[in-house]
Order: sequence, then C-alpha cells, then structure tokens
Amino acid sequence: MEHREFQDLLALHAVDALDASDRGRVEEHLASCAACRAELTELREAAGLLAHASPAAEPSAAVRTRILDQVRKEKELGTVSSRVIPFQTRSASGLWPNALRIAAAIAFVALLIGVAVLWRREASSQQEIARLSQQLDQQNQELAHNREALALINAAGAKKMELAGSQTAQAARGTFIYDQATGRAVVMTNGLPAVPAGMAYEVWFIPKGHSPMPGKTFRVDASGHAMTMDQMPVEAMQGAVIAITLEPEKGSASPTGAIYLSSSAS
Amino acid sequence: MSAISRGDEGALAALYDRYRLILFGLTLRILHDRQESEDILQETFLQVWRRAGDFDATRGRAFTWLVTIARSRALDRLRVLGSRARLADEVVAHSAVDDIGDAAKDAVKSEQGTIVRRALAELPEEQRRTLLLAYFEGLTQSEIAERLGDPLGTVKTRMRSGLIKLKELLRDSARGL
Repeated sequence: MEHREFQDLLALHAVDALDASDRGRVEEHLASCAACRAELTELREAAGLLAHASPAAEPSAAVRTRILDQVRKEKELGTVSSRVIPFQTRSASGLWPNALRIAAAIAFVALLIGVAVLWRREASSQQEIARLSQQLDQQNQELAHNREALALINAAGAKKMELAGSQTAQAARGTFIYDQATGRAVVMTNGLPAVPAGMAYEVWFIPKGHSPMPGKTFRVDASGHAMTMDQMPVEAMQGAVIAITLEPEKGSASPTGAIYLSSSAS
Repeated sequence: MSAISRGDEGALAALYDRYRLILFGLTLRILHDRQESEDILQETFLQVWRRAGDFDATRGRAFTWLVTIARSRALDRLRVLGSRARLADEVVAHSAVDDIGDAAKDAVKSEQGTIVRRALAELPEEQRRTLLLAYFEGLTQSEIAERLGDPLGTVKTRMRSGLIKLKELLRDSARGL
C-alpha cells in the first residue's frame, strides 16, 4: 500500500472504524510516517467534536461524589507506596543490593504485620460469629417457646387459673393455663422476689385428695417475671390446685420451702 | 492535566465540572441508558485520574482525550450489552441517523452543540450518515457499507470528506469547543 492509500484510511482510523484487516497495516505505517501521524491527530480532533452533536445531559450528582470518594481512597493507598519509592531511587547503583534487601525487609515486616492484623481480625470475627450464633440459637429457642405458649393460650380447650401471692410474696401474681385436651400447661408469673443463689421456684400440681406432684423449676428475671411450660396429668385436673414454692435449684420431690403463689381450689 | 497527574483531586473535580455535560450526553447517546452511562462517566474520570501522566498535549487537546476515552468505553459496553443489534433496529426504524437535533429529555442546551449540529447540517446527507454511524454506533467501514448498501470505497471517501469538511467548518470555533 502506498502512502496515499494509507492517508485515505486515516479518517476511518480517527473514528476507530477500520476493519481489523486494515488496522494493523495502518498502525504500522503510522509508526514510520510523521505526516500521517499529524493528519490523524487533526482528524481525531475533528472527530472529537462530534461528541457535541449529542445533546448535552446532566448526570446525577452521585457520580461526582463516587469519583471523588474513589480518588481519595486511591490517594491514601498511593501515599503509602510513595513512602517506599524514594527510598529506592535515592540509593546509588552500588548500594542497590542493600537497598533492595532493606526494601524487601520492610515489605516482609509490613506483610507480617498485615498477616497478624488480619489473623487477629479473623479470630475476633470468629468469636463474634460464635457469640452471635449462640445468641441466635437462644433467641430461636425462646421464640419457639413463646410460640408454643401462645398456641396453648389460644387453644380451644384452654383453661385458666389465677395464682395469688402468699403472705411471703404479696405482690406476686401468676397465671396458669392448661390445655384440657393435651395437658400442656404454661405458668406465667410477675412480681416474684429474686431467686437466691442455689435456689429455684418449683411448680407443684396438687390433685384433689393427693400429695403434691413436682413440676418444672424456673428462675425469674429482674421484674419477677417468668414463663415456663409444663405437662400435667389431664385426668387429675378436676379440682387440682397449683402452687409455687422456693426450693433448692435441682428441685425437690415434695415441697420443702415456703409457698409463694397458689391457686384456690377449683 | 499535569495537576491531576500530580494527584490534585481538585483539578480532577474541575475537569469533571467542565466536561460532565458533554461527556454524559455522548455516553447517553451511545448507550441510551442513564445507569450505564453514569458508570461509564465514572470509569472515564477514574481512568483520567490514574493515567493523566499518559496524556500528551502534543497529540491533541485534553477534550479530545477525554471524549476518546468516554466514547471507546461506552462502545465497548454497548458491545458487551449485546444491544447493538437492537439499537440498530431502532435507529433504522426511527431514522434517527439524521435526527441530530433531537434533544433527549434531560438534555442541556449548549452553544457548542448548536455550532456542531449546524456544521453537520451543512454536510451532504450521505457523509453525515456515515460519520454518525461510525461515531455513535461504533460501526466499522464494512458494517457501514452493509448497512447503507454502499461500496467499501465509498464509505472510505465519505468518511474522509465528511471529517475534513467538518474540521474546516469548525476551524474558527473549534478553540471554544
């Protein structure tokens, strides 16, 4: 191809419209032809003006923010590396091996620090994850528990008994609800005194004319509130009494402590 | 541009403020999608930030460099999106090739735009069509030939004549563009 033929292709090249087969040859010619390079520059300038043929439009302001945020981020990273570069360029050629060794040592130390920091971060993340998943498990259990209690309270055959505070705990109130069909029961308390160490409240189920049968033990929160589920013998519920006493933590076979809450016989 | 290559983000912000309208208009015209166009605009200025040292004032104006980056990125994206064929169909259907004065909804009126569109209007229709197909749709010589049913040589001649005529028409006003 002659110079003239290449020249004819420059306009196509200026708008990147050369087919792949021509592009390589034109590039090759440009490398050795200053006149064509100059003409290409001019044609590219003219082509650039075509951008004005599209209507100018306003981008959203977020674009500017994103660009400048990114630039600042890169700048921070850049200043770290620029601290290392002068160290290398300052060294005389004879000192190169030393400078390299020092630079390598610095890089290695930086790497070690980085690894240590990441490792610690990783370890504390793991702990945090373990703690959170434990918390989640606990909350899920509570949630399931609460759902079960709600279902029970709302059951068609649910029967409710009020528990009144005894002389020992006059402010205490409680509710005992049981499902006559299944014997599932829920005890809810309010205003019970805090439980001393090693002790727990225990639910007693006292069928008419029988000795008390032990139920669940439970502890209360700061406001004396608790909700605990239990299972009662359905056939013996008629006329039974519910009582709550303070017992050793592991529970007693028959009541030993003072009565805190009890239902009146029904 | 040299301030930017020294890491002066204020200079980059100033460059953005000056050219965002025209560059966004350009990418929007190519991609027909605000989200994609904003991505390209962002990439363009980040490239400028990282590569400002590569800018060579003897090889053209900063404006041309910016436009070149934005346009080639937008055309690359267009190819990736594979929407080129679809857009081409739309263009043919609406004869938008000649629709150089059609302002988009969010268009901003600019004096430079008026000058360039007026100059384009002075070109013979075939030359204008050829230029715009290459510039805004990224079609190559043989694709344009196929699209317009012209021989390859005709496309080559029209491109050259059109661009040279445009350059002459805009010689006096080009400094301000």
